[in-house]
Amino acid sequence: MSRSLTAALTAAVLLAAACGGGGAEAPRQSKTELSLYNDKGAWSKYFEDMGALSKQRIGLSVKPVGHTDSAQYQALIKASFRAGVKPDLFTWQTGGMLEEIVKQKQVADTTAIWQEAIKNGDLSQDLASYYTFGGKQYCVPLNVAYWGMFYNKKIFDKYGLQPPTTWDELVKIADTLKQNNVKAFYHTSVLFSFVWFEQLLAGSDPDLYDRLSTGKAKYTDPGVVQVMERWKSLIDAGYFINPGDKTDPGDVLKNGKAAMVSFGTWFNTSMTQRSMQAGTDYGFFVIPNVNPSLPKTSVVFESGPLCSLVKAPDPEAGMKFLKWWTTTEAQEKWSASRGDVSANPKVTIADQAIGQITKDAGSGKYRLVNRYFEATPPPILTAALDGFGLFVTKPGEYRKVLEDIQKAADDYWSTHQ
Amino acid sequence: MTLQLERAPGRAGGARRPRRAPLHGRLRPGYVAPAVLLVAALLYAPFLWTVYLSFTSYDGLAPPAFAGLRNFGELLEDPALLTSIRNTLIWVAGTMVLPVGLGLLVAVLSYDLPRGAWYRLPFMLPYALSGAGLAMVWSPILSHDGIANRLLGVDTAFLQEEPHNTLAMLLVWTWQQLGVNTLLFVVGLQSIPKEPIEAARLDGASGWSLFRHVIWPLMAPLTAVVVGLALVASLKTFDIVWVMTQGGPGRNSETLAVTMYRETFVASQYGYGSAVAVLLTVVAGLASYLYLRGQVRTA
Repeated sequence: MSRSLTAALTAAVLLAAACGGGGAEAPRQSKTELSLYNDKGAWSKYFEDMGALSKQRIGLSVKPVGHTDSAQYQALIKASFRAGVKPDLFTWQTGGMLEEIVKQKQVADTTAIWQEAIKNGDLSQDLASYYTFGGKQYCVPLNVAYWGMFYNKKIFDKYGLQPPTTWDELVKIADTLKQNNVKAFYHTSVLFSFVWFEQLLAGSDPDLYDRLSTGKAKYTDPGVVQVMERWKSLIDAGYFINPGDKTDPGDVLKNGKAAMVSFGTWFNTSMTQRSMQAGTDYGFFVIPNVNPSLPKTSVVFESGPLCSLVKAPDPEAGMKFLKWWTTTEAQEKWSASRGDVSANPKVTIADQAIGQITKDAGSGKYRLVNRYFEATPPPILTAALDGFGLFVTKPGEYRKVLEDIQKAADDYWSTHQ
Repeated sequence: MTLQLERAPGRAGGARRPRRAPLHGRLRPGYVAPAVLLVAALLYAPFLWTVYLSFTSYDGLAPPAFAGLRNFGELLEDPALLTSIRNTLIWVAGTMVLPVGLGLLVAVLSYDLPRGAWYRLPFMLPYALSGAGLAMVWSPILSHDGIANRLLGVDTAFLQEEPHNTLAMLLVWTWQQLGVNTLLFVVGLQSIPKEPIEAARLDGASGWSLFRHVIWPLMAPLTAVVVGLALVASLKTFDIVWVMTQGGPGRNSETLAVTMYRETFVASQYGYGSAVAVLLTVVAGLASYLYLRGQVRTA
């Protein structure tokens, strides 16, 4: 009897536990520690450092929950909208990704934070456009980055090379390196397979780049085909390392496996993590336009958001943290610890080259284009990443790759124009 | 109160059983209820939800919209799915030849050797690794500038070009799975009664003919289990492929399970991904059923 009773009670307890999620909501309590879900697992230390500072200043510490697989991370965050543990704060992507979760009314409105920050000069009006949907702002900038070329300074010095100011000079550098059996450029078949497409297209015809991301141009248009042909000619010339190389790009540059790696300024964090000194071990330059007749050099820009949910466990605490995040004090720390640029124009950047691009970009010297990853609607991006991944392995298939991407684009734009 | 412990009721005669089952028997559902509830909540409910999603258009955010058979229609026209099916078939066929076939060979060659367990031990050790861990270890070895190319003195993009990438991953899978298949076959070989083998030997059978006509038929029940397990495991190949190539480049090394994951979580097409999941379940279920039915008939 007692065993039967135990079995029945166990079943009842399990049933109650299984159904517990749907019960009445417990009263919300003020939180003193905020969970910060992110897909930047390698940045946990920096988030913790920020949490230590925020605890001192506003009484809220941060517990980073880092992921490294972005697909898994996005599925987790999306699932949290419906049920389960909701993050206090989470990182995301601007562009179509942010727009789709804003449309679902999941993301907390940060318009008040933006207005005050713009008034104080902590955030710029230009940046607000990446965070604005239906006239309101959502999230705050976790980071901003400008894309350019990181180069191994010791290799450049060894062969008497200087950062190029024209496309022809860049190709000449690649040639010199090739003659000395050094691979000039890094590229990969996974995730960042879009980098060279983006750079070559933005540097050839930035208007076409913008039209392509809004469905007003096709991947099979002659201008895009020419970009792929140019990319192919660079691969065929032997300037790139093998795209299947599994070495971390930070190590690729440090070890000299490739002399140049194109990434956003956040790559500086990889250099910091490897104890590499700017100006001595490595340098950074803006990649010259392929088309010299363009009035401004095209520079790829990206900004990643830090968000809070409408139904966050403690919405007030989340907002308090986001507001603090935009302040100069917080951004000085965030920028300095990672050696990266900041969304806050008042922050001074120690790294000279990166400080310069930020200053120049702010003064309108460059034609800023939104990074391909954010500018391209997610279903087209997925097809494009697969396509470029195939292309770097089999450059001869560029026409088929473009046709496949255009097929995904046709599907998408047929319902989203 | 005391409970009367009963023997299992026999059908053929014996003492007349009481009509009413004792309390112990009536409460049996209570004993199994926790397990049933857990299985229902964690296995059957998600399974039914997946089947439902396969008939919808769903991006993981907006509520699922009923789409009828559209996802299944698109499956038929998707060239990436054909590649995925082809690769899955390579995995199934390869698994039968390599981990299972070689496992049998190692078992037969070593089972009656003195200290045979020591010969089998090296094959067993990789089984301790998880699929993802295995892939992490082998990725740099098989990468373009990895040890494999240097040792072999070749310049092959093992993980970049098809079908090299699927075949290379199949070898990695073999490295891990060979030991456990060997172990199962050894257990089978050791459980065979000695008499028929000795009788066959007295009749002059040895070597291949002894194996083919005596040992192999006696091992049939165990072979059915090993092949059945390997069949299902190979049909749902995921972790090695996802970690080593993510199904690429250009989706050329995807298996059905990778396609399912990619469509669902990378492309956020939960409906289409669920349709792939349903297809995979049907294929795995059907293959297992047909195979096991054939085995039972043979037995």
